[in-house]
Amino acid sequence: MEALITFVLNFIYSSATLALIVLGLAMVFGLLGVMNMAHGEFVMLGAYSAYVVQSLGLNFIWAIPISILVCVVVGWLMEWTIIRHLYNRPFDTLLATWGVAILIRKGIEAIFSRDYKSVDQVMPGTIDILGITYPSYRLILIAIIIFLFVTLFAWYQKSKTGLRIRAMVQNPGLASAVGIDTSRLSTVTFIIGVSFAGLAGVLLAPLVRVEPYIGLDYLLSSFFILIVGGLGTLEGLLIGSAVIGGSDALISTIFDKTAGYLSVLLLSILFLWLRPDGIYSRR
Amino acid sequence: MAYTLVVKSLLLAVLILIPFLTNSYFAYQLGLYLLYGMVGQGIALCWGKGGFLPLGQALFFGIGAYISGTILQDSVGWLSVISALILSILIPAFIAGLVGLLVFDRQIGSGPYFSLITLALSLLGYQLANSQVWITGGFNGLTGIGGLPGIDSYGSLYFFIVGALAISTFVLVYLIRTPFGQLLEAVRENEERTQFLGINTSLVKAAAFAISGAIAGLAGAFFAPHQGIVTPQVVGFILSAELVIWAAVGGRFGFIGPIVGAVLIGFLASGLRDSFAYWEVGVALVFILVVLRMPGGISGMVTSLLRRFNIDILSNNVSSRSQIIPKKNNLRKPVLKFDNVSVKVGNVSILDNLSFTIENPGVHCLIGPNGAGKTSALNALTGKLDYNTGNVYWSGKSLKGIRPFRTPKIGIGRKLQVPSIFSNLTVRQNIDIAIWVNRLNIKHLFSLRPYSWGTNLLKDLEESFPFLNKTDVHAGTLSVGQRQMLDFAMTVLAEPDLILLDEPCAGLSKYETEKMILAISKLAKTSKATFIIVEHDMHVVELLSDNVFVMHQGKLLAQGSLEEIRANKEVQVVYAGGSK
Repeated sequence: MEALITFVLNFIYSSATLALIVLGLAMVFGLLGVMNMAHGEFVMLGAYSAYVVQSLGLNFIWAIPISILVCVVVGWLMEWTIIRHLYNRPFDTLLATWGVAILIRKGIEAIFSRDYKSVDQVMPGTIDILGITYPSYRLILIAIIIFLFVTLFAWYQKSKTGLRIRAMVQNPGLASAVGIDTSRLSTVTFIIGVSFAGLAGVLLAPLVRVEPYIGLDYLLSSFFILIVGGLGTLEGLLIGSAVIGGSDALISTIFDKTAGYLSVLLLSILFLWLRPDGIYSRR
Repeated sequence: MAYTLVVKSLLLAVLILIPFLTNSYFAYQLGLYLLYGMVGQGIALCWGKGGFLPLGQALFFGIGAYISGTILQDSVGWLSVISALILSILIPAFIAGLVGLLVFDRQIGSGPYFSLITLALSLLGYQLANSQVWITGGFNGLTGIGGLPGIDSYGSLYFFIVGALAISTFVLVYLIRTPFGQLLEAVRENEERTQFLGINTSLVKAAAFAISGAIAGLAGAFFAPHQGIVTPQVVGFILSAELVIWAAVGGRFGFIGPIVGAVLIGFLASGLRDSFAYWEVGVALVFILVVLRMPGGISGMVTSLLRRFNIDILSNNVSSRSQIIPKKNNLRKPVLKFDNVSVKVGNVSILDNLSFTIENPGVHCLIGPNGAGKTSALNALTGKLDYNTGNVYWSGKSLKGIRPFRTPKIGIGRKLQVPSIFSNLTVRQNIDIAIWVNRLNIKHLFSLRPYSWGTNLLKDLEESFPFLNKTDVHAGTLSVGQRQMLDFAMTVLAEPDLILLDEPCAGLSKYETEKMILAISKLAKTSKATFIIVEHDMHVVELLSDNVFVMHQGKLLAQGSLEEIRANKEVQVVYAGGSK
């Protein structure tokens, strides 16, 4: 029973963190049609922000505004110099953002070296819950993620900007004809998307090894989730996170990490072949 | 072509002479970069020619290296060397082909899925190489790999590498001239159109990917004896990314560019990597610049420079159409039947119990206001649109679930609403591909003979549309009217029994419209095929139609001769803007 509860909590925890990471990519890919190959690098930038904040001796909480600042600046630069010129040219966007990903990786590697950095636990204690002892930071993290999702979803459904974005996605031409500044809106959407990645990086930093190449794993697991869950719905995103996070955790526990990775990769290939629109599709 | 042959022979001569002109260490280093360049050639085949980007090509290189390393560890006979080479080619090719088949089967275009899957595969390869110590030696790698028997790895092995490179270059250059290569480029230009010309495009792409995997594996097979050690880095994503960068910077549209890129950046990196911390950042910047500003890379720059001096190294020889293929005998009595076909997307009814039957050859026009479902009906017929209920029958067979690339085989040809041609191919190449529909088999795919095929119908079409004779003009430079005509010609060249023309006269001038009408009615008389023409221009309908179908809100509203339709009260209501 206790093992089961631990497994369920671990499952919720890993699905929730995955959902947070994929959120920004899904926004940018689903709304703007831009496959941001540098998405994982923004997670990495967030994690390095947390590392820098801690090594400067500041409170961990500072990492949040700093990482968002970093991501807004880098994201804006990226949108302004590259993405903006490539909307509706998905293949070129893929290439260019792949280049940016390498650029950011190599830049961080040149500054911080390839070594692992560790970010200290912010909340090392545990909490007794449902009869088991569970790390309190993880529980707080789950709560924060749920809060973020609810807020973002409500904002997207209720706010004027959310309405404008939805209008732009459905019909960009008409949206700009009725006075919506679609190019600014795209910039804002892109920046929000990468900032969420940065935020995810900060929150995960105490739990993972921070190094220049972590972004790649996050990009790929986000991408697997998008394949399985399908584009365009929140339900799909959550189900995809649960399927990918769940099967990875399960297979990894039974066999090893490589087997877990192999299983989600095979699952994604099968989905591309048999259900190319994912479990939940807009169509 | 002769010109490029001279250039390539000269380059080969230089490569052979290099060990005699420089020191042996230089040649040894060059050998490694040439191997990377070979992998780059495979990337160029997929990316430059096929339009899809493999991001994990090091996987196949590494598999080749591990296979040949394992075999060379134990034995030193030539038999084992040859078996190592064969396995290092076949196994990566098989894996690449299989992955390609699965991923391309349902995805059209060059979307991110394929690239990311290959990237993930390379990451998986890296993990496996690290964890499966019993095969790979794990983190420390496969060590103690012997050289080829009697061959000095620091000396004469170089010539074997140059030989392998010469072979891969020759094979690729030949391959791209064959119908297979032309079809691969057609897929890059317009995959949907290629499917409606009867090509299983996913198979073409998967084959190209398998070939690129084979070449990478061959390069890897030489890597093992060359380096004497194979570590997990060889299958990893870092090398994969570098390979893509080298191919891009050198130039991905040809097969020399990737080698130039690998050699140039390779030597620069070995000199600068350690002394200049931001070297790799600089390389990434150059890559982004190439992607954004000069997609042809270094080799593209050289080509356009040469063109300025009127040296065109890319011009193709055009063979004459000496072999006239006889006309198809396909004129059975066509029966097309739509039986209660309904399509709903969300709350919107696209087709609403659409039923009609066509039993006579001739020209049937499909008219109706915008949004009536005319194009959707054609989409349902050709497998582009799934229907929820009902069925479509052609010659008694159900077409439910048919894949678009199968429609030409059962005698259906389709011209899409927007003229879709292969813009970066010449008019001649566009027509070649159309002539090959239903006539090309596996054997022809890799021979040059199909370029000499012609038909009498083509001669007729060239009379109607003289610009079709301008063989070396790129189709993308044609006017809208000419594109429509080219698209029409390509649709009918397969001599289908059922010809679907979606607004063939859209965007045409009055004069061009008359020419098009003339060509269609001439073909209708001589071929006795069945035409379904979606058209808004009543002038066209008047001149061409034997029979008219009127659609409204996804349903069939009326059917009959044009006089009957004009007299129909319901049709008048719809077209006069009244409500029903």
